[in-house]
Amino acid sequence: MQTFVQLLIVLLISVDPQLILATALPDSPYRAELIQHALEANLASEREWHLLLHYRQNLFSGYTSEADDPQFFLSPSGRTDPQSELESTIASLFSDEPVGSSKQPAQCAFIARYHWLKERLAIDDTKLPPIRCERFDMWFNELNAESVTLIFASAFLDNPASMFGHTFLRVDQKGQTEQTRLLAYTINYAAEVPPDEGPLYPIKGIFGGFKGYFATPPYYLKVQEYRDIENRDIWEYRLHFSESQVRRLLEHAWELGSTYFDYFFFKENCSYHILSLFEYADPTLRLTDQFHVWTVPADTVRLIATQPRLVEEVVYRPSRRTTIRRKWERLSGPERRMVKEIVNDRSPEAIAEFKVFSSKDQAFLLDVASDYLRYQSETDKKHAADYKERNRKVLVERSALRIPSEDMKILPFADHPDLGHSTSRASVGGGWRNNDTFEEVTVRAGYHDLLDPEIGHTPDAQVELASVSVRHYNRADQTRVERATLVNVMSLSPMDSLFHSPSWKFNVGMNTIRFNSCQLCSNGVLNGGVGAAVESHWLRREVFFAFAEAEGDYSKAYEDHYRVGGGGTVGLYGDLADRWRLMVSGSYLRFALGDKSDDIRWFVGSRYTLAQNWALRLEYNHRDHDNDVLFSIQAFF
Amino acid sequence: MRTGLLAVRVIVALLAVQGGVALAAGGVSDMGPGCGLGKVMWEGNTAANSIGGELLISTTNNTILPWQAFGITTGNFGCKNSGKLWAEQKVNMFATVNFENLSQEMAQGQGEHLASLASLMGVPAGQQEEFFAMTQDRYNALVKAGESSPVAMIKAINDAIAAHPVLAQASTR
Repeated sequence: MQTFVQLLIVLLISVDPQLILATALPDSPYRAELIQHALEANLASEREWHLLLHYRQNLFSGYTSEADDPQFFLSPSGRTDPQSELESTIASLFSDEPVGSSKQPAQCAFIARYHWLKERLAIDDTKLPPIRCERFDMWFNELNAESVTLIFASAFLDNPASMFGHTFLRVDQKGQTEQTRLLAYTINYAAEVPPDEGPLYPIKGIFGGFKGYFATPPYYLKVQEYRDIENRDIWEYRLHFSESQVRRLLEHAWELGSTYFDYFFFKENCSYHILSLFEYADPTLRLTDQFHVWTVPADTVRLIATQPRLVEEVVYRPSRRTTIRRKWERLSGPERRMVKEIVNDRSPEAIAEFKVFSSKDQAFLLDVASDYLRYQSETDKKHAADYKERNRKVLVERSALRIPSEDMKILPFADHPDLGHSTSRASVGGGWRNNDTFEEVTVRAGYHDLLDPEIGHTPDAQVELASVSVRHYNRADQTRVERATLVNVMSLSPMDSLFHSPSWKFNVGMNTIRFNSCQLCSNGVLNGGVGAAVESHWLRREVFFAFAEAEGDYSKAYEDHYRVGGGGTVGLYGDLADRWRLMVSGSYLRFALGDKSDDIRWFVGSRYTLAQNWALRLEYNHRDHDNDVLFSIQAFF
Repeated sequence: MRTGLLAVRVIVALLAVQGGVALAAGGVSDMGPGCGLGKVMWEGNTAANSIGGELLISTTNNTILPWQAFGITTGNFGCKNSGKLWAEQKVNMFATVNFENLSQEMAQGQGEHLASLASLMGVPAGQQEEFFAMTQDRYNALVKAGESSPVAMIKAINDAIAAHPVLAQASTR
């Protein structure tokens, strides 16, 4: 999904006026025969034809294709008429006239449709004009495909378009080794965003304002982007498709390569269109139907992982940052000091001290230092030249050791994404507020908060979207919208001696407050803050955080109906046991504008995981004289 | 990864350029690596620019003309031996985009980028360790060449292979 910003290597299209076709062809009895056959066999209503043309059933009746490029269709009414498109396609097979935006004969431009029709109608191709698809053959030979791998690049909170991760396909080559898989091509679907689009491009992306294209950049380019530049872990799911299924997938990708779809960030995004390729490769798979409102990349990975015998192997490819952190864990105190010395140009004493290490250890220390300098040159662009210069020196010294680095298995900090909980969540619960009791129902569209089961999700990253809680108070006999969240993001980056990224949070929503004389008052909240986090390993892993923040509140409970102020939050969370997490935080805010007031808030929350998609929660919220205890059971779906 | 980003930027720029060319040329198959217009662009630009152009060729499919121009059919533009030319372009492209990774792995005497480069250059899997040792051994000279242009680094590696007692015999190119 981060593909929004991926300008790189999108397919460019020359939009030419649609070619007039079929009508100009001489009458051919065989053509009429085939069309008649197709009609009798009712091919136009077959699933595979609908997959090829990306037809979706309309709300009431009929079909519309999701493809938005008129050149994708051979019949002027093809976008909404499967039968007419089928007839025009059969007719066009009798012509060598170039069609579509790729300007090739129909047998080549729509090679998957041709091969499917050929099989279903047992077409005798000696009765068709002889056409060689050289461009397709060259492309196909260059891909040299043996199998396909689904690639998941994990979430990246610092770019709003990447918050949910990204998926694409790698076309694994014959004879490829674990090391040369970098050379394989990928199939990537991305929105084409003009370079001067400005900061509002995500809004446009949500509503289909961009065109999405397929492209086939080599995998090394994608690895560089995710692993080296954005520091995102990559998961590779090698899939089991037969040779003929791989060929079907590629033939269909070839057809799609010259067309476009309007790009919708939430549903018709990268992951959605990748699923449609799988469906054509193996029509027994039902994948895209499972997504109605949004297609979250991690959900598609989970869906793929649950298909019987589809995933053969899962391979983890650590980001540079993960690699550095794992290597750092292995170092002793003096070794860590030495790495820092190397990074900062060693003092003469340190140079003498360095010589004491064995050459194997020297190599390891220099390798960590080099990784770190490369990380720095990507994240601190202002001083990139300086870091590169220092890295060059380190590498010159490293090469002089004349020994190869040992392979070290880098373990992920987050488990397989397919083991994570699903995206949406529903909760049912009850509790006490002051001297009343209540029952509550909550539905959250997405995605993950800091107390949710962390397995398979990016640690320390909270993204909550579109959540509503409805509560019934028994004594007050009142049912009301208790809380609503539009967006609630918290990105914590634990700092240590190597990494110094700030943490940040942002929240837009409403809650219910008790203030002045108003017992239950709706309150709109806008809150944002910047801070820092550190982690410890006393029990298991604990994360401590602190934020300086600003907040604006809007409620009729306030004088002048609003207040604006600032303050701070400190807190921590950690796992007490495998399935049990505790989180505590406290805030103090002072409001200087509007209703001049201040607020002390406490939160204690605890979650127990029952299963991958089930959890229990006990939460306590305190604000001034307002106390709220909620016990709930949560299901992810 | 300045090189990478640079290449990326170049690609975006070239997209427009090539798109224009493509329209003007109206489907004439003369934009293969080292052939026709492609060759003109290659010669007329700095190394990085051309690599960007080639990258575009290698990574897009049928909508961009160059695929049909992959060279094999365009003998009249001086690309008779285009299979070999394309193989060379792939090496240069890979070296340009991955220069930072390659220089790190050459110093470390191993790595997947280096292994991929060896494979692109036709070094048999059995000789990979010699190749790694050789690039580590000549690290200074190779990186110095690579800093002026990755294509020069590839040439220096090729020369070193030719002079290497084991690699020279095994290499297919």
